[in-house]
Amino acid sequence: MNLTPADDAHPKRTSLILFVTGEAPRSRRAHHSLSAALDDSSLDIAPAREIDLLREPQQAIRFGIFATPALMRIDASGNRRVLYGDLSDERRLKDFLAAL
Amino acid sequence: MKDTGTIAEHGLVKRATGIHDLDTVTHGGLPSGGATLVIGEPGCGKTIIGLQILASALARGEGGVFMSFEESRDQILRNADAFRWGPRLRESSRCEIIDGQSMRRAEFSGAFDIDGLLAVLDLCARRVEGTWIVLDGIDQLLRRQLDSQTAIDQIAQLNDWCIEHEYSLLLTGKHISSDRTQPDYLNGIEFMLSTILVLSSTLVDKRLNRRFRIAKYRGTRHNPDELAMLIDDGGIHLPYADPFIPETIPAAGERLGTGIERLDKILDGGVYRGSITLISGQPGTSKTTLGAAFVAAAAGRGERALLISFDEFARQIVRNVATLGIDLQTPIDSGHLRVVARASWDALVEEHYMALLALIDEFQPDCLVIDPASALLKSSGADSAFLALERLLAVTRTRGITTLLTSLSEADDPFGESTLSHASTLADTWIVLRYQVKGGERNRSLSVVKSRGTAHSNQVREMTLSPQGIELADVYPYGSEVLMGTARIQKESEEFALRQRQLKERLRQQQRLEREIDKTRALVQQGQEELERLQEELIAESHDQKEVDRGVDQHQDSVIQRRNPGQGGLAQ
Repeated sequence: MNLTPADDAHPKRTSLILFVTGEAPRSRRAHHSLSAALDDSSLDIAPAREIDLLREPQQAIRFGIFATPALMRIDASGNRRVLYGDLSDERRLKDFLAAL
Repeated sequence: MKDTGTIAEHGLVKRATGIHDLDTVTHGGLPSGGATLVIGEPGCGKTIIGLQILASALARGEGGVFMSFEESRDQILRNADAFRWGPRLRESSRCEIIDGQSMRRAEFSGAFDIDGLLAVLDLCARRVEGTWIVLDGIDQLLRRQLDSQTAIDQIAQLNDWCIEHEYSLLLTGKHISSDRTQPDYLNGIEFMLSTILVLSSTLVDKRLNRRFRIAKYRGTRHNPDELAMLIDDGGIHLPYADPFIPETIPAAGERLGTGIERLDKILDGGVYRGSITLISGQPGTSKTTLGAAFVAAAAGRGERALLISFDEFARQIVRNVATLGIDLQTPIDSGHLRVVARASWDALVEEHYMALLALIDEFQPDCLVIDPASALLKSSGADSAFLALERLLAVTRTRGITTLLTSLSEADDPFGESTLSHASTLADTWIVLRYQVKGGERNRSLSVVKSRGTAHSNQVREMTLSPQGIELADVYPYGSEVLMGTARIQKESEEFALRQRQLKERLRQQQRLEREIDKTRALVQQGQEELERLQEELIAESHDQKEVDRGVDQHQDSVIQRRNPGQGGLAQ
């Protein structure tokens, strides 16, 4: 797991949180898809912080995420967008990251 | 905690929902471990069932989790505040309400898992020691899945998880209306889950009629009928949930007076306690008056009587029957009588039914009058008014409440007494009031059409109302008819005149005889006097004769002496 500390204290940058549930296949697929997209892109986005809801279920309530995998994107002004699913649709994921 | 309120039947363990009617039709509640699907169109009361089950669990000291995919926590609590038990959800520390509506605004790319959801539910349920979990609007989550099979699998996963942890799970989902094909995922779930409740609503006479049905409850007895459902500030109600148990009907032996002496005589002493009497008649045939007499008699015996009127206000009835010598005010004041007015158009049949049941439960009457019961036919309802009435009568019979129903017959009805004829089959005694129009007048008549277990008179009688009360007049058969009104009075006065004439005649005869006797006595007196006079006369006569005889002798002697005393005397 490529765990990166959350960047909540850094409002200037867009941050990402990937919600997963343990080693579930879809969670793993989402993790790989996201890594690939970020490597591939020229976007200035820090690596995603990952939250395992099986270990920290209270985070689900905090963020309102009840299905996994889910990718949350928090922009500089604090707006949140969530993309559910295994992120298998590459185009969809890129659009999401680019905030299109 | 999890063992509270559960019962086992054929291996299936049920958990009481705390909603009396729901527990009745499900014979004890919903599965104590596993999911129950509640489906229905929007606005059918799916969320309310979930909230009410939760509130009941809280009241019993259990905990619960409510998660909505459609509404915020505040919206849910606001909705719940409309109910008596609503504040409990807000105040209890054992109640967890999770806002799951963030899913609605999200985007989707590929399939997703619900393990996170289970982790959250587990966390919350443990925190509140919960037995019930409600997932409201599960369709909002499921329709995001790319394929229906994934959705079905996940519901199965949810179900298995609940069975394993012994949580009672309620899933609510929207039934897509019939003009569109139902999404596959709901179909698949319906096949998979063992317990499904279907809620629906239809408009009948512009009134919303809610219905409830247990579409499926595998492995247990349950009531499979579509039942009328009501929602009031107490939550959901299934008025017809309670089954009818005929064994509990007490055997009737005691006779109760109807408040009309002559009627009691006709009925062999009155009506049986716990029986049902139907009084039918056209407007103005004094149905209400008979009802009032009945409750007044009950109150007079020290019993509790309940008079439910769909026609008049309580005060009107009290005033009107007071003019006929029936006093309702005294028993009302003493608490023996309650008069309740209801408007038939004001509520659904089921609502009336429930209200009447509540009144009976609260007041515990010995005698009940519904005047007129036929007014229920005017209210709309999911089921017929007859059904409501039948159920109500089953209740009164079971509890031994002596019931009197009145029914309004239509004037143009060929039989004149058939409006509630369906109910007449339920009635033990059926009294028909009619107008007999004859000789230019209307007269009220009363006849007992049937009276079970009673040797009753088949005679049609005239009924009269006066400040002294209700009277049944003497029967004057005239050929094949019974005389009424003026004809009866005429007949009565004719008979009276005849009797008077006969009396006078006899008197006259006596007087004549007395006069004759007097006359005769006078004649006898007269005769006696005559007799005495004649006798006196006779005595006087014979006295005179002697005087004369003596005179004659003296004369002869003197003559002889004068002739020759020596020569003369020839014979001497």
